[in-house]
Parts: sequence; structure tokens; C-alpha cells
Amino acid sequence: MTGAFAATLMNTSADLVTRVCQGDADAFRLIFERYSRPVISFIYDMVNDRGLAEELTQETFVRAFRAIHTMRAETKLSTWLFGIARNVARESLRARARANNHVDLGDKSVMDLSDDKPVPVEGLLSKELNGLIRRSLAGLDEDKRLVFTLKVLHQCSYEEIAAITGFSLAKLKTDLHRARAEMRKKISPYAGVGYEV
Amino acid sequence: MKCEVCREFWEEYLDGELAPQDREQTDAHLSACVDCSESFAALTAEQDLFARYDREVEVPPFLWTRVAAHTVSENSESRPNWRTRFASLFTPSFAGAVACLLIALAVGIVYLWSRHKAPEPAQAKAPSEVPSRDPVLPSVQSAANKREVIASRKKPGSRVKAPIVHAPIDQSDVLSSDLAYLDMDEQDTAKHIEQSKMLLRSIKNVQISETDDEIDVTYDKALSRRLLNENVVLRRDAEMRAKFPTKTLLADLEPFLIDIANLPDRARSEDVRVIKERVQKTEIVAALLDYQDRGINNR
Repeated sequence: MTGAFAATLMNTSADLVTRVCQGDADAFRLIFERYSRPVISFIYDMVNDRGLAEELTQETFVRAFRAIHTMRAETKLSTWLFGIARNVARESLRARARANNHVDLGDKSVMDLSDDKPVPVEGLLSKELNGLIRRSLAGLDEDKRLVFTLKVLHQCSYEEIAAITGFSLAKLKTDLHRARAEMRKKISPYAGVGYEV
Repeated sequence: MKCEVCREFWEEYLDGELAPQDREQTDAHLSACVDCSESFAALTAEQDLFARYDREVEVPPFLWTRVAAHTVSENSESRPNWRTRFASLFTPSFAGAVACLLIALAVGIVYLWSRHKAPEPAQAKAPSEVPSRDPVLPSVQSAANKREVIASRKKPGSRVKAPIVHAPIDQSDVLSSDLAYLDMDEQDTAKHIEQSKMLLRSIKNVQISETDDEIDVTYDKALSRRLLNENVVLRRDAEMRAKFPTKTLLADLEPFLIDIANLPDRARSEDVRVIKERVQKTEIVAALLDYQDRGINNR
């Protein structure tokens, strides 16, 4: 594994894409190993369901493999994969919304916090903090959740977010600002973050 | 710069998206204005809180198998397989040639079989005939297989069964089977140590040539960030469970994870070289290996 692992460090994404286009199955496996974790995390942030996130990650990589020859040379592989993941997640959310006749990610059952009493952040165990963020994230509407996830949790640049989402810079900045404000509102009683912009 | 203007810049400042000139002005204002610097510290604390978010979602091992079944495997199936290729050989002229060859082969086998049946000469010749097969034995056969062949040579007239050659199986990506016997926390720690070891090894083994200005460390950086989050939690757990050797090891590991996590996606070769040399000098990889080699009870 050491050799393969070291090799992953040396293989640039562009090299891997070229090799996949030439029919190199190992190169596609390397792409999967390199990006499957950020992709599954991103999809999980969007759909808030572990099993579904696994299915959609599979779908993302299958679509990526079938379309990789259409990828433009100047496109960053991670941006391209996140774009596909975003479409796959959005389709799934829309299908679920149609099935339920409404998007219920932000309803009370999802947002219901186990204890109303604010606890300072130092007192929050990692699991509690994770649960709190996850539930708060699920309460955002789709566009805000998307930009917040990409910027704050995945550290994408504005340029990358615009490429992934197709949003204008102005829209993504507005959505991001509002998403931050909503997240702050939900988390501040627990985290002790009382600042307002 | 007025406080209101400065506040408008904060999020972009934090996101690293502010124009250099605005950033300088914001810096200057923050260092001069107590109110703004306090509020900005709260915003930074909020950012740190989100940085601690761990979804506890892993890529299950079966996922690649499923993806491969619909991608690379499917692709290889669409290529003509050996049956198709073999069937395509049977043109009328080729079939005639094969028929002749088969007849000649059958005659040869009958001749050899009749010689083999002859009592005295066959017994005498058998040991000298068998070694002639050696050149066709695969060079990678194991010592055990060789011993089997030698043993079979001692039986005159017995047929030498070609040893089954097992291709070397790369199981280096399989974690230690010891994991099955550990409790959940120990499993997490063992898995974490294994992944950290592999990460540091990859840094230790990275080849940096003189001409490289930058190295793509996107994957390693992302991995390091995740491992860093885990490391903090596991180190605290180890401390609470009074597992001090584990705690010390994780504390030693943490600076390396921080350094790798803080690299830009395309890191300067010099920065990678510094980390690489530190990994080599401090022998942290050896310490991680040593931890894995020791028994569970010693931890």
C-alpha cells in the first residue's frame, strides 16, 4: 500500500483523468480513493442520510466515469466531481420532496434539540456538537445549505462554488451570509457565539 | 476605515476572498479597534466550531466494488472476451491446419504412452526425463512448491503435477486482523494510527526533484485534516482512560497532522521537504509502527 499511497501523492488529477480516458482502470480507482470521502461527506451534508449518501456517491462516480471524456482540460477534477454530486443530490432531494409533497428537512422533528438549556461549547461532546451542526444544517434551505457546506465545511473558493452551483457571485455571497446568520442563530445558544453581522 | 465598513468585509476576510488592499485595511482596523477585534474573535470561534464538525461518515469498503461493477468492470466486459476471440479464429483454412496438428499430437501421445508402458527402459529413464520439465516451471514458485516437486521426483514413473502457483496477493490495504479483538475505542485508535502511519510514510517517501516548484498535496491535506480532528478526540479519550502511552503518541503525532493540514493544495516543494525531513528525523513512523507491534495489554 505504501507504494500505491505514495503514488497517489505524485499522480496529478489531470494525469489520472487522461489515464482513465485511455482505459486505465487503476487510475479511476485512484480517483475514487482520493475523492470518495469528500464527495460522500458533501452528499451527506446535503441529504442528511448515511445510506442514501452511499447510494448517491456510487451514482456520482458512475456518472463521472461515463462522462469523464467530456471534462474540459481547464476544469478542476474536484470541482467537476462536486458539480456532479450536487446534481445527483439535488435530483434525489427533489424526488424525495415530490414523494413527501414537501421538503421536511427543516421541520420540528428534525430541528428538535434534545435539551433546551444552553450548554457552553466546551461542555459539548464531539458527538453532541456534530449532531447539533447536522440538525442545524438540515434546517437550511437547499441553496443556502449548498453554499454553506461548500464554503465552510469543504473550504471551496467562491470561484469553485460558482462553478459547482452555477450561481452568480452575488447570489452565492448573499446565500452564504444568510446561511451563516441562520446557523449562528441555531448554534449560538449552545456555542456561546453571540456575534451579529 | 469605519467599523461598519470593516464588518462588511469580515466574512470574505475569513474566507480568504478579500482583495489584498481591503485585507490590509481590515487588518489595520482590527488591530486598532477593540470592539471589532472582539466581535471578529467570536466569528473566528464560530468558524473553529464548524471546523470541528465530523460527520462520522465513512466510505464503506463495498462502495468501490459497486462503483467498479458499473464502470471499469462493465467496460472490460464490453470488450470481446476470450470465447469470442477464440471462436473468431475458426475460419475454414485455419480449421484444417488445426485438424492436422491435432492428428499429429494424437499420434505423438500414443507413441509416448506405448514407450512409457514398456517395463525396463521406462523405469530407468523416468528420473532423467522428469527434470527436462524444469524450464517450464514458473520462476515464482514458492520454496514449498519446489520441495513438492523434488519429493515427487523420488517416485519413479510418477507424474509430476505442476505446482499451483499463487500470485502474490497485495493485502497491504487490509488493516491488521487484531482489530477484530479490540473494543470500539481501541479499534478507532488502531485504525487512526494505521491511517496516520500511511500518510506520514507517503510524505516521507515523496520524491522531490530540483525542478519541482510545487507538489499537489490536495488528497494528503484533506486526509490530514480529517485525521487531525480524530486525533484530538482520541488523544482526549486516551487521557481520560489513563492510556498514557497512547496519549503521548497521539500528542507527538498531532504537530505533523497540523503541518500537513495547513499546506496549500499545491504546496511549495520546500515546505513539503521540511515536513519530510522532520518525519525522517523524529522517527515518528517508527513510533507508530512500534505502537502497532506492541500488544493491546501494554497500551
